Parts: sequence; structure tokens; C-alpha cells
Amino acid sequence: MAKAGPPSGLCRQRRGTAPQMRGRYPDHDVLAQADHWDEATRRIVLARLRIDAPPLRVFDADEGATLEAFCDTVMAQDSDPRVPVLGMIDEKLHEGRLEGYRYADMPADADAWKLVARGLDEAALEHGCASFAAAPHDVRSQVCGAFSAGELRGGVWDELPIGRAWTVAMRDVVAAFYSHPWSWNEIGFGGPAYPRGHARLGVGLRDAGEADEEFSVDPAIDVPVRGLE
Amino acid sequence: MRDFKLALKGSVGPEDNDSRNLLDPHRRGVPGRATMRTYRDRDAVDLVIVGCGAGGATLAQRLARRGWRIVVIEAGPFWDPDSDWVSDEAGSHPLFWTQNRIVGGEDPVEMGKNNSGRGVGGSMVHYAGYAPRFHPSDFETLTRDGVGADWPISYEELKPHYEQVERELPVAGQSWPWGDPHGYPHGPHPVSGGAERAWSGARRAGVEMRVGPVAITNGAFGNRPHCIYRGFCLQGCKVGAKASPLVTHVPDALAHGAEIRADSMATRVEIDGAGRCTGVAYLQDGSERFQRAEAVAVAGYSIESPRLLLNSHSSRFPNGLANGEDQVGRYLMVQGAPQVAGRFPETLRMYKAPPPEVSSEQFYETDEARGFSRGFSIQTLGPLPIGWAEHVVADGHWGYALREYMRDYNHWSTLGVLNELLARPDNRVTLADERDQSGLPIARIDYTQCENDRLNIAWAKRKLEEIWEAAGAEELLTIERYAHLVGGCRMGDSPESSVVDSDHRAWAVTNLFVADGSTMPTQGSANPALTVMALASRLAERLARKRVGATPV
Repeated sequence: MAKAGPPSGLCRQRRGTAPQMRGRYPDHDVLAQADHWDEATRRIVLARLRIDAPPLRVFDADEGATLEAFCDTVMAQDSDPRVPVLGMIDEKLHEGRLEGYRYADMPADADAWKLVARGLDEAALEHGCASFAAAPHDVRSQVCGAFSAGELRGGVWDELPIGRAWTVAMRDVVAAFYSHPWSWNEIGFGGPAYPRGHARLGVGLRDAGEADEEFSVDPAIDVPVRGLE
Repeated sequence: MRDFKLALKGSVGPEDNDSRNLLDPHRRGVPGRATMRTYRDRDAVDLVIVGCGAGGATLAQRLARRGWRIVVIEAGPFWDPDSDWVSDEAGSHPLFWTQNRIVGGEDPVEMGKNNSGRGVGGSMVHYAGYAPRFHPSDFETLTRDGVGADWPISYEELKPHYEQVERELPVAGQSWPWGDPHGYPHGPHPVSGGAERAWSGARRAGVEMRVGPVAITNGAFGNRPHCIYRGFCLQGCKVGAKASPLVTHVPDALAHGAEIRADSMATRVEIDGAGRCTGVAYLQDGSERFQRAEAVAVAGYSIESPRLLLNSHSSRFPNGLANGEDQVGRYLMVQGAPQVAGRFPETLRMYKAPPPEVSSEQFYETDEARGFSRGFSIQTLGPLPIGWAEHVVADGHWGYALREYMRDYNHWSTLGVLNELLARPDNRVTLADERDQSGLPIARIDYTQCENDRLNIAWAKRKLEEIWEAAGAEELLTIERYAHLVGGCRMGDSPESSVVDSDHRAWAVTNLFVADGSTMPTQGSANPALTVMALASRLAERLARKRVGATPV
């Protein structure tokens, strides 16, 4: 845990915005291509930029603080600019957008999230912290690690199936984070491609609007070497 | 003769379906919608079809051409791809059936974006585009392999319909050596960097792969545009290059007088005192309406078709329409669909080009040396960032590690398999205690794998790992998942073990048909779309030839 952070040498974003202004494609700015997108796509993608720490409607202040800290920890958002993950999840739940299924042993998604908030606070309490939001980074990491491994016990976790809760929470978290165009800059995703399309499909080729990767590390080597998990 | 060929320009299109020419070259919305013929609720049309997907739309097009008066009741919207669809992963959520369903059993199946469509075009709006045929063996797995079931019809009966639907979509690919060997009307599409890597690994591992078969135009085809390789096949093809009934069958159906009544949720199939269907009750704009009809074809796919029949209970059928033998909802099937991704030092950008590129059916049939019955197919995939993140999370990563794997997105290429999981009676659709906003009980889906299923999935995953190792991949990443749905109202030889007969007619109700993938007794390792369409095409031919009581105008 000691060396938790991005790998040294990761680029600082030069064009556009990336979460924490770090990424492998410092000159890749998806939003600079927005004029080339079709109108329906442009409207829906640009609307995501307007969700900036809105007042939460599904979660109360305590739940919000806990879940904000949870989203920051599992997405490793350790500084600004941050993709407003919890705001996006809150909006989705508030609007009643469903996924199309619910596990028979799970409550409705919003209730599951509220139970997760309670369970995280209970786990932080066991580490001697007032709440998950008040806990230092290493405690938050330990709790999230135990959550991901299904190793939290007692309280909420005796009634909520922990593996499913992790799956449902992370489903919503990554869907929010990786729908945000800032995250596309970080990872070099080309973004919407209609009506222009792609022409250069082969290994190592790039189309107009795609930038070169300027930093690369094999995560399967880097992650264990730096003890990130 | 030479002059005649020159005059044709491009490949020869299918007969008896003008959809490709009816489309507008300058906009994507279906022409003919504004001038669509409409029927009154009290008109007893020849056939009301519930669901406008692969089965319902094909059936409507075929029978409308024969002069039948057809109304299709569709729960979702009548899509206009220009204004309704987006080149964006998260923004494509409205394409899916996202109303609540309860999933249970020991190996629950996640519904929604992976397997359930809603709206005109059905799940084919968001399928990848793979359009393989079933193998002849799929129709007699019980006889050949002692598992699953025998169909009441054979491959040979379906073959002319496979050929016709392949011309209508049209399907592009190399000549196909597996199952019943055959060619395709359009040639293979170019292959992306990621698929190239997969293919080279397969060659070295002794696995034969071929380009296709994908239902994406690759050449002149009426007013259907060519693919632009933008990679958003699963988000609805704004281009109109990928086949879905919206572009392949709906325009022709409308031109022949069918009415497609969108945003209308069927709630009950009604019967009279003699036990014959009289029509379908449905909700539109919050009010209940009733469309009279001489016959009813349910084509709501493997969850909604059983749900509709179960909700259509009456004193004559207290446990649901056509469910006197407790068969409705049983033998629901999904395919195992684990994916293994491989990492390469070069950038591959797997978001470009259609996700379906090359595939193999070398392991489709039973090989006793593998230790399980039946088999699997192998196909390339191209997950977009959210799909890729789910892949990384499933491999156990979060926090800084998740971000690191995600930044590495462009170095990965993905292979998946489709395992033939076996049909089991207790894998089924029932009604949950919960109700939807309109008060209708929602579906509950229970799913549990058997030992053969687990062995098949594990063996197939090892094969994918071998391919990536042979390709020189530096790292591997694996996710377990499911794909596709079939079964739930299966066809068979007797009312004790099936819901419909070989003509898709409910055993217990003579003018009730089921015309979708729910009728399949087995699923093979092939994507189901082409077979659903071929079955509907065959049903239409048989109805048009044999059925009494219909009164063509």
C-alpha cells in the first residue's frame, strides 16, 4: 500500500481534461472532436459535463460523504479534477433508470447503495475511525480491499450478500466514470465516431482524432510490483 | 448476357423483400411509417403479433406480402436511428429492456443490456451482428449425444429459410466449412488489428478461424449504406449497415399494409368460451385497449413471451394460457460466454471496426475426449470502455490497479466463446410476487448450471488461453458471463413436454402461435438471431399454405 498511486512517468494531460490531469495520451482531447459528432450523440455526451457536484437527491449528507469517499477510493481519484461519479449515480437512481434485473437476494439498487454506505461506516468504526469518510487513505483502502474480497463481516454484511453488493456498486461506478469523456482522454479511447467512422484498423495505426500513446507500462507487471492490491 | 450482368450493379438482392430499396438514402428513419396503414381495435385482423423483433417482424413481413391483415404490438419505441440512437455506450441504455426482472438460481443471469431488447427491431438492434446458422446436429442432440432434446423439425426443413434470410440481411463472410458447409452473399469484411492478433494465435494453436459470418453489408445493397467501421455495433447501427428487422423487414412489411403499433405493451391474450384466442389486450398511453384478431402470434422473446402467457390466466387456463402441462417458461437457455483478453506491446484499439470479425466452430460438436457433451464456438469481441472496465473489475481489480489496467485499454484484444449450455426444466421463467407500474406481475428467471455446463466453460476458457499464448500475448484477463436467450416455450412432439408443436402452434389453443427464439428446444453454440428469423420465415410459409380461417384481402 505504501506506493499507492499512478506509475511514475505517467504523462500530465496537455490538451483537454483528464481525471487528475494524468493519462497516457497527453494530446488526446475527445471533446475537440465534438463538432464531428452527430447531433444526438453530441447532446447526450456534452450533458455529462454539466453534472458537477449537484445536490444529492437519493442519498442524505452522511451517506453522500461516505459514498463520495468510496467512489474516490475505488476509482483512485485522489485529486481534482474528478469525474463526479457519485453525482452521476445519484442522478441515475433519482431518475429511476433501471438495469433490467435485480438479484433475488438483493434489495432495489438505491437501497443496496444505502446499505453499502452503512456497511462501510461500520467497517471504518472497527478500525477506530468515526466514519468511512473520516478514515485515512490506508483504512479506506483496507476496507475496500476487504469489500472486494467479500471479507467484511457483521452488521450490514450479515444481511447484504457482499459479493453481489460489490458487483452492483462497481457496475454503477465504472459505468459512470467511463461514460465521462475526460476518462476517454486518459485511456486513448476515440469516443463517438459517427458519421466519420474509422478507416485505419490495423495494428499500431491511428485515425484522425486519435493521438499517440506517450507512456506505457504493462499493468500485470506494474500492479503486483508496486503492491497496489 | 454480359450486358445483363453489368446492368445489375452489385450483388443480387433477395426476392420477395424490397426493404433495402424502400429505405431512404439520406436519412435513417424508416420511410412508410407516416403513411402506414392503421386498423381499428374492433377490426378482427388476420393476425396480431406481439413483439417486433427478429421473429415478429419477419413473420409480419412474410404474411403481409401474402395479403394478411397484420397488426404488430410492440412495447418499445419505433426507432428513428438519426435522432434516437447515439454513438455512445452509456447513452444507448434505452435500447434495452430495462424494466425490472428478478434473477435467481445458483448461477443467476443478469438481464438488461446484455440480452434484452425493446423497440422496433428487438434485440437485433443491439446484437453484435454475428449471424451463423445452427448445425444439423443441433436438431437432434438427444439422438446423437444423449443430451438436450430433438427438435420436431430438421435442419433440412430450415435450410431454404436460412438461405433466404442470409440474402435479406445480407450476411458477409468467408465460405463456411463447419456444420452444413455453405457460402455467404457478401464477401468478408477487413480485419482489425486486434482480430489479426487473435487469428494468428489461433493458426499457431491449430484452431481454424474464418472471417464472419456477420450481418453487415459489404458492398452495394439497395439503399443500405456500407459499414464505416466505427465499432458501435452494440449501440444500435446509426449507419444502417448492420442488419436488424428495422431495416431488413419492417420497410417491406409496411409497404404491404402491416401496422406496427409501437409503445404498446401487451398485457393479456384473451380467449373465448371455446378456448380460442380473440385478440390481445394492451396498454397504450396508460389506457387499456384490445385488438381483435383471428389469430395471435406471441413473439416477445424468451422472457416476455412466457410472462405474457403466464399473465393470461383464465378459468379455463388457471395457471396461464397454454400452460396446462406446466411447460411454459421451462427449458430457458443462455450460452456460457466467458471472455479472455490478451495484452500486446503494440496499440490495437479494439474499439475500432465491428466487434464481430473472425470466428471458429471447430469445437462445436461433441468430442468425448473433452469429457463433456456438445461444445462451443469462438468469436472476437471489442468491448468499449465501460464493458472493458467490467472485464477488469471481474478480474479482481479496483483503485489504482483498475485505473492502470484501464489506461492500458488500447493494448488488449478480446476473444469470447459461446458454450452450448444444456436445456434443463428448472431453468425457467415464472411470475414474481412483484408487479410493474401498471400492476402486471414481473418475470422471475432462475438459472443453475449443470456439471456438463461447467466442464464445457472451463475447457473453452483454457482453449482461449492457448490461443492467446500462441499469439504471443504478454498477459491474460478473464471474465465469466452469459450471452443470448432462447427457450421458455419450446416446440416438441407432445403437449406433456413442450408448449407448441412443429408449426409453432400452442398445443392447447388452436389459433395461438409462438414465433420467437423461445420455441427453440436446444441452442447450439451459434448466435440465435439468424435461426429466430429462419424459424419465423418457415412458420409464415406454413401458415400461408395451410391455415384455414384467414381471410386475405
